[in-house]
Amino acid sequence: MAESVAVSVAPLAPTESDPERCEGEEEVRGNEAEENNQQTGPVAGAPQNRLAKLPLSRIKALMKADPDVSLASQESVFIIAKATELFVEMIAKDALVYAQQGKRKTLQRKDLDNAIEAIDEFAFLEGTLDA
Amino acid sequence: MAERPEDLNLPNAVITRIIKEALPDGVNVSKEARRAISQAASVFVLYATSCANNFAMKAKRKTLNATDVMSAMEEMEFERFLQPLRESLEAYKKGQKGKKEASEQKRKDAKEKKNDVEENDKSREEEEEEEERMEEDQEAENEVEEEEVEN
Repeated sequence: MAESVAVSVAPLAPTESDPERCEGEEEVRGNEAEENNQQTGPVAGAPQNRLAKLPLSRIKALMKADPDVSLASQESVFIIAKATELFVEMIAKDALVYAQQGKRKTLQRKDLDNAIEAIDEFAFLEGTLDA
Repeated sequence: MAERPEDLNLPNAVITRIIKEALPDGVNVSKEARRAISQAASVFVLYATSCANNFAMKAKRKTLNATDVMSAMEEMEFERFLQPLRESLEAYKKGQKGKKEASEQKRKDAKEKKNDVEENDKSREEEEEEEERMEEDQEAENEVEEEEVEN
């Protein structure tokens, strides 16, 4: 997907290799059932810092769900995507502590609940997750 | 597409990968835990957006920008994110700049090449596609997204 093919007759190579990731302009393709979105898969050789793993289009769609939000810069969408990745890492690691306390190697829902209750930064999650 | 915030989940495959990369080898994650983390991530986006938007509104701006998001992270007590986010933002900005220059250069090249092509039909096709891409690229060049939210 990332190739820029220089053909003598028709140089129609796309300049954006990952429109989903980089632009945030694209509408969400397909429906929510499309979980294995290949377009957001790892791009060979792409440094992790530059690209977000989460699709910017989906992040932007979530942001636009807020009635008070009118416009958002591309950068802000990207930063929120990155922050969300850091958040996922953080909550997974914090929940793991509880699994390990229970001498388990499998993270379970109750470990998440324990982490949310115990850790101040996760207070905003209380009451928001499905039972 | 009228989507409720609750319907907008992040792709499970990506969430799973982020979780796996954060945890040591040999650790498994139950389906329920994964689903809960994914939901939590969506809630995080909504909360961070709302928080960031408050900063934008305070500054009398209609467009949410990266600084607003940084301020939101501080407000939400995620200061630990600030440094990695700043670094990511720098890399992202550099990447965007490079793409902009590359796409401008490609457009120039394509235009020159087009003049040499004898078949008119082909040129017209290329022109249409090129213009489509120009529109996309122009949008990409603008940091501000000119889209109104319909509610």
